[in-house]
Amino acid sequence: MKLDCSGLACPEPVLQTKKALETLPNDSVLEVIVSSLASKENVIRFAQNGGFDVRAQDLEEGKSLITIVKGFTCKTVVDAKDESFLDKTLFLKSDKVGEGELGAKLIVGFLKSTLELPKLPRRIVCVNQAVLLTTADESAPITEVLKAFEAKGVEIYSCGVCLEFFGVTDKLKVGKIGNAFGTIEMLFGGEGTISL
Amino acid sequence: MNNEAKLTKYVKAAGCAAKLGPGDLTEALGGLSCTHENVLVGMDTSDDASVYYLDEERALVQTVDIITPVVDDPYVYGQIAAANSLSDVFAMGGEVATAMNIVGFDGCHHPRSVLKEILAGGQSKVQECGGIIIGGHTIEAPEMTYGMSVTGFVHPKKIYRNNTPRIGDVLILTKPLGMGILTTAIKADMLENSVIEKVASILATLNHKASQIMRKYDVSACTDVTGFGLFGHASEMSFNQVTIAFEMKNIPILDEARALADMGIIPAGAYNNKSYLSSKVHAKVPHKDEIILYDAQTSGGLLIAVSQDDAPKLLKHLLDEGLTYSSIIAEILPLGEKTLLYM
Repeated sequence: MKLDCSGLACPEPVLQTKKALETLPNDSVLEVIVSSLASKENVIRFAQNGGFDVRAQDLEEGKSLITIVKGFTCKTVVDAKDESFLDKTLFLKSDKVGEGELGAKLIVGFLKSTLELPKLPRRIVCVNQAVLLTTADESAPITEVLKAFEAKGVEIYSCGVCLEFFGVTDKLKVGKIGNAFGTIEMLFGGEGTISL
Repeated sequence: MNNEAKLTKYVKAAGCAAKLGPGDLTEALGGLSCTHENVLVGMDTSDDASVYYLDEERALVQTVDIITPVVDDPYVYGQIAAANSLSDVFAMGGEVATAMNIVGFDGCHHPRSVLKEILAGGQSKVQECGGIIIGGHTIEAPEMTYGMSVTGFVHPKKIYRNNTPRIGDVLILTKPLGMGILTTAIKADMLENSVIEKVASILATLNHKASQIMRKYDVSACTDVTGFGLFGHASEMSFNQVTIAFEMKNIPILDEARALADMGIIPAGAYNNKSYLSSKVHAKVPHKDEIILYDAQTSGGLLIAVSQDDAPKLLKHLLDEGLTYSSIIAEILPLGEKTLLYM
């Protein structure tokens, strides 16, 4: 769906975007055209706070095109990118593999080794205690490993409810905040899921 | 409140959000100047009002301000516009003597009774601070505007300027921020009546009492926060001579404004202010509410620079007198790399 909000003053573009997103079914893409910096920032702010995936692109004559994805559109993402990825999701439920100190070492080792694979999993989804991996200190070895995944184009999502549960939402170092719907889409949408 | 008149629906922007951007204004005013021995405060600084020397006891304070509607109730709009116009005299430390109404009346969309109510609202506020309305002028206009030309008096040796804070002073703000965001939401019919009433009562509160109270303490500078937002007016206060360090958690912001800002209900004026000021600001710890520091305020509070010794006493006095949003929000430091910083 396309929404042309050029020439409209605040808050009209946000209100129209809100209305459109409410009526659109999941897995749809909303494109909003705006013609001022204020409207661009406001629409992006609104969509990001709603947990949507947002991209903005500057067009001619001071206009911007904002693309908002309602729900995760894994299939189109796979189609669009080159085939250096496996269509697999790595599903992490804990910040360890197994128990204790060894478990904490193992997860770093496992992920580090995975980085060496010729084809990487498409995405990493962290739920429950696994969100402590994406919110670890900058200096922690795990943060460096996850950032390396991200630099290679692997999408990393941390469960929003879990982040909140552990009170670490504002500590997210790498990847994005995911939601239940997106997680399920990823687990069932791709060719396979690997769970540790 | 009587919101039937729908005053805000027929204007492009609400209140001070309709103001010309600071960059545009500086460019337009750049060629103008006035120097005369009797002009104590003129156009060369960004002060809110001008001051003209009369004799050893008295100087004349003159100011003018008009705004577009920020609420739909005509009487309350009149009160708010008047509070906004009178405020510049109070920021200078003066008392109001007379005021003249200035109206651009949108007769296409509103009946004459609306005009009567607006003027009655304005009068109520002039009376509240002991002033009198002695006339005015009305024209038909495509967009409603109302405000006043205000004349007051101040002792020539007790003028409060906006750009003379001392290093070591702290800043007290007497009203909460977020009014540009909230009035934009009122215009979009997004607020419940109870919130509108709360916002309107803050907007209609005169800075008269705050001004009278501050004069009892060791105050070095004062301005009122209006169209350029907290940071725009703080930037003028710093005068590129000092650095003002703000403590984000102490800055009074209405929760309702925070929620709206998260939704992206932010008037263009805030972004204009931000882009004009961005080179002067350093964020020690970035904050998601940053944009509210640039939000254009209508009838905002006084921003008072006071000595550290007197600050707790002044703050207590303001709070005791019912100015409940008052808070110590910043400290004046020696000039650093940037003139404004927040943490």
